Amino acid sequence: MVTALITELREQMGDGQVLFDPLDLYVFGKDAGLTRGEPSLVVFPHSTEDVAAVMRAARRHGMPVIPRGSGTGLAGGAVATGPALLLVTTRMNRIEEVDPENRTAWVQPGVINLDLSVHTSPFGLYFAPDPSSQSACTVGGNVANNSGGLHCLAEGTTVNHVLAVEVVTPEGEVTVLGGAAPDPIGLDLRGVMVGSEGTLGIVTKVLVKLTPDPPAVRTLLMAFAELEQAAATVSGIIANGLVPGALEMMNQDMTIAVERFAKAGFPTDAGAVLIAEVTGHPSAVDAEAAIVRRIAENHQASLIHVAVEESERKRIWLGRKSAFGAVAQMNPDYYLHDTVVPRTKLVETVEKIDEVGQRHGLLMMNVFHAGDGNLHPLMSFDAAEPGALERVEAAGKDLIEVCVAMGGSLSGEHGIGLEKREFMPLVFNEADLDAQARLREAFDPEGCLNPDKILPEGARCFDFGRPPPVGAWV
Amino acid sequence: MTDAPTEAPESIEETAGLLAGLDDGTRVRVRGGGAHMGIGHRFDPDLILSTARLDRIIAWEPDDLTVVVEAGVTVEELEEMLAGKGQTALLSEQPGPATVGGAVAAAISGWRRFRYGPLRDRVLEVTLVTSDGRVVTAGGRLVKNVTGYDIPRLAAGSFGSLGLIARVCLKLWPLPAACATVRVSSAEEALARTFRPLAVLETDRGAAVYLGGTPEEIAGQAAALDGTPVDGLDWPDLPEGKVRFSVRVPPSYLRSIIGRLQPGWRYAAQLGVGEVTVGADQVSTGKLQALREEAEAAGGALVVLEAPADLRRGFDPWGAPPPSLSIQRRLAALFDPGRKINPGVLPGGI
Repeated sequence: MVTALITELREQMGDGQVLFDPLDLYVFGKDAGLTRGEPSLVVFPHSTEDVAAVMRAARRHGMPVIPRGSGTGLAGGAVATGPALLLVTTRMNRIEEVDPENRTAWVQPGVINLDLSVHTSPFGLYFAPDPSSQSACTVGGNVANNSGGLHCLAEGTTVNHVLAVEVVTPEGEVTVLGGAAPDPIGLDLRGVMVGSEGTLGIVTKVLVKLTPDPPAVRTLLMAFAELEQAAATVSGIIANGLVPGALEMMNQDMTIAVERFAKAGFPTDAGAVLIAEVTGHPSAVDAEAAIVRRIAENHQASLIHVAVEESERKRIWLGRKSAFGAVAQMNPDYYLHDTVVPRTKLVETVEKIDEVGQRHGLLMMNVFHAGDGNLHPLMSFDAAEPGALERVEAAGKDLIEVCVAMGGSLSGEHGIGLEKREFMPLVFNEADLDAQARLREAFDPEGCLNPDKILPEGARCFDFGRPPPVGAWV
Repeated sequence: MTDAPTEAPESIEETAGLLAGLDDGTRVRVRGGGAHMGIGHRFDPDLILSTARLDRIIAWEPDDLTVVVEAGVTVEELEEMLAGKGQTALLSEQPGPATVGGAVAAAISGWRRFRYGPLRDRVLEVTLVTSDGRVVTAGGRLVKNVTGYDIPRLAAGSFGSLGLIARVCLKLWPLPAACATVRVSSAEEALARTFRPLAVLETDRGAAVYLGGTPEEIAGQAAALDGTPVDGLDWPDLPEGKVRFSVRVPPSYLRSIIGRLQPGWRYAAQLGVGEVTVGADQVSTGKLQALREEAEAAGGALVVLEAPADLRRGFDPWGAPPPSLSIQRRLAALFDPGRKINPGVLPGGI
């Protein structure tokens, strides 16, 4: 079945758009997470029409389809679990139309996140979601995972910045969900498409909302002896009526690693580093920065530095965004986790996460989006060391259990993918999972889009209050 | 249609039992405060299901910026409670009798949408009761979360088509330290001269900019407008009339739509958002149809909010259904196979 499909697609699209060499399949057998699974073939469409043709061909040949952007996903969302066609969107990288007046742009899914903002900067506009991988990840990948980023506290995640999507259905039909006008009529399918990890349709075009560059920005770098003081500062800021553009925190181990790598001027003797950024009208930012400063002082900050020069601001953010690169220097491998808890449970959760690290003999560093309770524990290890990977996996499971017990959930911004689907019953009951499976079925009745992702096996099994159909196997 | 009996269950479990116990094909109209009952296709209900007694505040975590309430809690009561600790759910500023469940079901955002985004961005968790009595919860009580499909967002504006919205968790925002209203002569110019005000509104009586932030910000933004800030937010009245409708277009088309409104109609337009709400006593379907055609050509819609029966005949309350209608229909049918709740109310008769 694979050979026939390969032949058909090569004839249709040209040789260069279809890969099936074992080495190519090996390369595409992984995203940025830990799981691995090779697809049967890799296809690089250029256009919506290409995607529609691929979907129709795949359906005829009974081949599941997995969409993939740059492969920066961390949850195995683009990893094959069986025979599958990997549809890579990186050659669909055109910014088709920018509408500065309505502050929107139609882009293909393979456009790199940062390239979009660079392209729209002459208009004084940018694409607000800014995951740390923004120089590599695609807008389509952001849509699939509802990516957040460092500034999503005030700006929101990708779903807040997507007005419409053009989608190819599993049947190969093209439709548009959402629109440029507010509150399109009918069910908000655009909203549910965002974050659906390629399981509901192939997004072939995105109408993004662009955000005006803030006229003024103040970035504050603060340090505290204790994590509690930094967390209390965050609470105080919000209690004072401010929701800053960003509130980022790092623990000491993380700060040491980052400073060694990026030389951003972070104090390595502090128990916690907090970065706050206020943006807005020029008359607003100094007053707001003064409020942040006063609250930090009240919580015994050992350092409060307001970045004045743009170069200084950039260095602070480069430092924060280098966290993962810094860790990569320490050991050959790292595992970046993503969980979320109510913000007020941050300190308690971090203590328990440290215990998990100790229990499994792993170096555990922490960097978090403190404003919204989104944690990124980072485990640094050497996969070549016998049993290391198993310890990391066991610690990952413990981490999730800790966060759920704190009233948290499985993922704040990386998605469920393959990696966390078995944990879904920790936060949803049978009826909840069944409802999600029903939703998926409405978009993909034959189950050929990114199978085995998000939902655990057997999610669609609940038929409340009705006898099973005659002859059903129960 | 008013002679249908009313039930008002006191708990989610009781609601589930009641719905499951109804015969297939029973048509149930869900009623919150009754503020948004004029929206969508009409039907004659066999039963009115009131959410009035699903009226508990389940949890409020001011430090986490979340609140969990049952559907029947009124918007007014919730906002009053939240304001006590300097917070808001950014629901309608003039809610009338509206309930939280009704606001979510109809996706009613308030005037502050320009600054904070639409209501659907703040529905973090939803509990739905389906026609066959399943109780389904999706999302989570967290301001940031990508665990599972975003059914809470889908529930916003679902008008009961996925099940009765019984309980929601909403994201809160702190109220700004100061607020002010500045009257201006040109809404467009005001929009260009300010940065992220709460709202820029134009009504048949004039235009104003609504500011929120530190006192320093208010002074600075007002100075850029050459205007005098008056303390507090002096929101306009909702445009009243025998017929009320909303025109939604990409923001740059708003001026053209306003230009086509008839003298004597009352309106409130949200600049930068692209919505104008209109109230009128004298309306012909021909005039409405022409407005709708212009809105739809711009990629928008004209939605009837309230209209007498004679006007409804021959004028669809939604207009042209969206291109994804077949998926929408399949979704509602699979998600809530019984479809007892508000059947046919959505575009395309879903």
